[in-house]
Amino acid sequence: MLNRTCAQLPDILSAVAAGRERETLVAAHLGACPSCCEQADAISWMRRLAAAPEPPRPLPDPGVIWWKAQLLRRWQAERVAFAPIERMHRVELAAGFASLAVFLVWQWRGFSTLVARAIPAGVAAMSTATPPSNPVVLALVLCGTAAVGAMVLAGLHRMLGRNHL
Amino acid sequence: MVEQAATLDVGDVGAHTQADPRAELLSESEFQELYRLHARPLWAYLYRLTGNTADADDLLQDAYCRLLAIPFATRDDRELRAYLFRVATNAATDLWRRGGRGTRRSEPLTSESATTADHGDGVALKHDMSRTFRNLKPQERMLLWLAHVEGSAHRDIAEALGLKAASVPVLLFRARRKLAALLRKKGYGPGER
Repeated sequence: MLNRTCAQLPDILSAVAAGRERETLVAAHLGACPSCCEQADAISWMRRLAAAPEPPRPLPDPGVIWWKAQLLRRWQAERVAFAPIERMHRVELAAGFASLAVFLVWQWRGFSTLVARAIPAGVAAMSTATPPSNPVVLALVLCGTAAVGAMVLAGLHRMLGRNHL
Repeated sequence: MVEQAATLDVGDVGAHTQADPRAELLSESEFQELYRLHARPLWAYLYRLTGNTADADDLLQDAYCRLLAIPFATRDDRELRAYLFRVATNAATDLWRRGGRGTRRSEPLTSESATTADHGDGVALKHDMSRTFRNLKPQERMLLWLAHVEGSAHRDIAEALGLKAASVPVLLFRARRKLAALLRKKGYGPGER
């Protein structure tokens, strides 16, 4: 492998690219300069590779490509048109969750009393060791409620989304 | 393929496109003409890059779909051809990035084609040439093909491959040197011009 380039390389490459490698001066230089010779060999070989026949295979049908391109353009246009609606769906969902969180924080005390009352007497008796105002129990109950709320919201969101489309 | 093409963005489309108020989409007859002129050389390029006819077909379709997706102000054949090769090169690069490297997916020489009495030697030689070429890195293959088969200018090659124009001659020099070393190793011998 040669590390230094020859000063005449650009001229030699132009000559080889133009198919003038058999000209006396060029051929003489190629015979004397291993660096240029290997560069010229690579170019000649590339030409032979390009000239080698490819597998006998028909090209894809241009009619199909044309049809596919029209379809893709239509999809792209639809995507662009629906982009603001998609964005609004995400905003709606985020706003729904935020409202739920605010409501739960705001109504914390009333909600905990409601939950405590809703627990049947038997369950309350079983959990005498943990009073209804226990924050862990309350947190669990609230998480459960929030999850149910989120599921309801998601369901509504899907229904609304389907109506939009 | 359709879904894959649908997710491909149009990419860098050059100076003569959407921004220009005169830009228009290609008509079907213009597309047919472009296809007739450039599809075969583009397919040959893609086939040599990937070593796989199915990939070459897919990439060819991708390239034309991208061409048809954007309006062009120009109808200059040379510019549209350069654009086609550029998007096809990008699509091939995407293919490799997704993990389907051409060297692994290249089609084997079938026993049928290799033993055909009248073409056996020619097919084997051709296959050996293709295999030698695929020993180069994808970027080196692209560089060599665009420069020495397509005759693209360094500026066009730089655009197609996302390189600086100044680094193209250096990379080309290295690629040629590497190819020459491979050829020596394969026994093609020096001076086989």
